[in-house]
Amino acid sequence: MVHVEINESGCRGCRMCVDICPTEVFEFDEPARKARVRESEDCIGCLSCSYLCPSKSITHSDFPVVKNFYRDLQFCRKKEAFL
Amino acid sequence: MSETDSLRSDLLEAMNFLGAMAAGLEEALGDPSKSISYLAGEKLGLQFSSGANRVDDLQDALQEVSSILYKNHCLWAFEPFKKKSEKEMVHLSQEGEEIMLVFRDCMIRQSLFCYGHPQKGSLCNMMFGFFSGALKNITGYSSRLEIVHAGENACYKRLTLFRKQNPLPA
Repeated sequence: MVHVEINESGCRGCRMCVDICPTEVFEFDEPARKARVRESEDCIGCLSCSYLCPSKSITHSDFPVVKNFYRDLQFCRKKEAFL
Repeated sequence: MSETDSLRSDLLEAMNFLGAMAAGLEEALGDPSKSISYLAGEKLGLQFSSGANRVDDLQDALQEVSSILYKNHCLWAFEPFKKKSEKEMVHLSQEGEEIMLVFRDCMIRQSLFCYGHPQKGSLCNMMFGFFSGALKNITGYSSRLEIVHAGENACYKRLTLFRKQNPLPA
């Protein structure tokens, strides 16, 4: 199950995570002017929030990482020597 | 070059070609390029699912689509999703049945990212076409796959099966 956390001291209250999340994982705490996690279990692990967050205050754990295709065969051959 | 390297090289070429085709079509035709991708996907869906089991339940039908993709070596893994507050996976709407799907490994997203093309373009419509074609054969109803959110690591889509329309001829 995906787990999401917001580093409260880093949040600038821009609401971008609240706006971008398609499953409404975040809510905005008006008095504190900061975003907070409403329902971590609803996170699908798209990572758009952490990609957008200007202060990089959102972290995810236990999410399925999509393995990128190899982009450069020569580089891959060098990399594979260490795997 | 080893066999694996050769396959990877072919795959990269195919991805490059697909990405360039989609970008060129979008620039030349605009929105109609989505119809072309849709029709290409639908044809693929109809072809792949030609011998598939006919089922009525939407979740069983999705399981059938998933196994068709797997059998045909397609990297289009998806899973049904419901929020914690929701009781049922399938919702009834005015048009028929709706289910939310999360797509994680997607060869189209990989192709787009590899060459810096934007998401939600014509190539993404190929998936809509594929589901439409496959579900036509499996359930006998037409369907729509709408992109709710296109993310960096996963996409969130709404699948509607138009049960309130007359079923298509087998």
